Amino acid sequence: MLTLLTIPTTEQRGSAEEKRELERLLSGVAAGDRDALAQLYHRTRTAVYCLALSVLKNAHDAQDVTQDTFVRVWERAAQYRASGSPMGWLLTVCRNEARMKLRREGRQTTLEDAQWEALPADCSGLSPEDRALLQQALASLEDGERQIVLLHAVTGLKHREIAALLEAPLSTVLSRYHRALKKLRVCLKGDDAR
Amino acid sequence: MTNPEIERRLAQALAKTAPDDVEGVLSRCEAGKGTVIAMTTKQHSRQPWRALIAACLALVLLGGGGVFLQRAYAVASVVSLDVNPSMELRVSRSETVLSCTALNDEAREILADMDGGADLKGVKLEVAVNAVVGGLVRHGYLSSASSAILISVEDKDERRAARLEQELTDAVDALLQNVSSAAAVLGQTLPEDAELAAQARENNISTGKAALIRQVLSHNDSLRFDELAALSVEELTELAEAGAPGMPVGKKAAIREAEAYAGTLEVPSVTAEAESELDDTPAHYEVTLRHPTLGKFEYTVDAYTGKVLSGQKDILQQASDTQTEDIGLAAAKKAALRHAGVSASDAVFTQTEREYDDGRLEYELDFYTPDAEYEYTVDGLTGDVLDWESEPFRSAAAPYSDKTDVEDRDDDCDDDRDDDRDDDHDDDRDDDRDDDRDDDCDDDRDDDRDDDRDDDRDDDRDDDRDDD
Repeated sequence: MLTLLTIPTTEQRGSAEEKRELERLLSGVAAGDRDALAQLYHRTRTAVYCLALSVLKNAHDAQDVTQDTFVRVWERAAQYRASGSPMGWLLTVCRNEARMKLRREGRQTTLEDAQWEALPADCSGLSPEDRALLQQALASLEDGERQIVLLHAVTGLKHREIAALLEAPLSTVLSRYHRALKKLRVCLKGDDAR
Repeated sequence: MTNPEIERRLAQALAKTAPDDVEGVLSRCEAGKGTVIAMTTKQHSRQPWRALIAACLALVLLGGGGVFLQRAYAVASVVSLDVNPSMELRVSRSETVLSCTALNDEAREILADMDGGADLKGVKLEVAVNAVVGGLVRHGYLSSASSAILISVEDKDERRAARLEQELTDAVDALLQNVSSAAAVLGQTLPEDAELAAQARENNISTGKAALIRQVLSHNDSLRFDELAALSVEELTELAEAGAPGMPVGKKAAIREAEAYAGTLEVPSVTAEAESELDDTPAHYEVTLRHPTLGKFEYTVDAYTGKVLSGQKDILQQASDTQTEDIGLAAAKKAALRHAGVSASDAVFTQTEREYDDGRLEYELDFYTPDAEYEYTVDGLTGDVLDWESEPFRSAAAPYSDKTDVEDRDDDCDDDRDDDRDDDHDDDRDDDRDDDRDDDCDDDRDDDRDDDRDDDRDDDRDDDRDDD
């Protein structure tokens, strides 16, 4: 069996300063600097968690995969090359960890039926509005729409980078993104009216 | 509520639920580790019962620990990686590397900083493959768009071979994507084959590459195994696809022919690289020569005869003859600004370069405005814009960090404009396959400010469903 995958080139965008900082931290991590790992964690944990959550649809699993991702990053930071996108790299590590988790648990085929469970066991820090937004409003979206709007809102990646990360056509990413926001607006308008 | 507000609220809410357990991460990271280490045991601090269930499951699956221990050091699969460097990893049932061997000199160079492969012993296969591919990238083997890496898995257990192949191609694919490599990832599974293995050893290549050569030979048995062994994986793959009508001259010979034609064989400052296009008609090599002052020249060389099919002859001679009517830097800047719709007072030029590309005079101009940065290539004779790119600035607040009070996230209109341009250029094929096709044209013109109008137009059906 011979399979051919052609890989699209990804281009680094976003804040050049942020990119430099993340690269500095990654090279620190590659050199075995635990402080650099801690800083990297604080800067990027929400983005990593957001991707994990959007793939796994479950806050508990996403928290586990977030931790796994940073352990992986510790092991592999030396493989990051400065020509790429540090955030894209980090998120790809996360995407692979999440996929591996699904594969390990044999859940890939049934995930579409899985419920959206965005609230962790301890969500005492969340306002009722936050809870409604994360749980009810996001549950009203299709999986693909939710994933894209979350990635755009939280990670700072551009649509094109999201398309590369999710291996989806850019046009699909754009249309899902706009549809998702439209649905969320309708949903939140309803809430405000109440 | 506007789109940026919704996104801001989402980001803030998620930041509150994201785990904040740096100690948990650090406790799993060994201090002073090298480039590659085995994966540490997973700890699920929040849900200890999961680890227990996983452990029980593992025992059930493996049919008892005793069997596992007996098999831990037996070779279960052989994974080979070929670009032109070829190496072979012997792997246990538990997917731990038992040995990693370089099969040729190029591979020995790659493995030099991993103690000749010894560092990879005991490491998880996926981690080892990542380290090796990282090395290949560092040495420049996977930088061109037409380069290819072949991952072959030999295993008696076909299902395991197929699974390993899939996992490894996925992982390598992801890794290459992140270093902006456009190289292709090829995967194959092989049954055990003593004859093939012997042939591979004789020619210092992997069994995987030998299998690829055998595929080429099945099209044309007049070709010689040892000559084919000298070709790269990309050349062999293309040759097989083209039905192997003949023996290609190879990259080195193609470069020599191009240099002879360009008259630069005796000019040491000219550098050259070649890419194979053996599946094109006519099959050819694309050779790029770079002269320190005259710039870049491209040649196509017939893959089977070595004849130069296109390219500029005697570049040194031509350069001294050519009269250039340079429009000058000021006019080039003006052309770029006019194209970008930016006034001269708003633009700050950070870099301006005058250079020759394929003998053509060009100006490379980089500038920025308060809103965005731009890169332009302007024809130095006509003032035409040959290529351009712009990137809007994000807000100063770091978009990736946990600071969610990001201002001015409504840069989406710029964002979309960028994307649209790329979309037009390279995503046509994707669009054709795209099931959301009805949305494309709306999205392309779309920006958040006229979002409502677009959405109303393209989402009527969704709308109804939502309202219900």
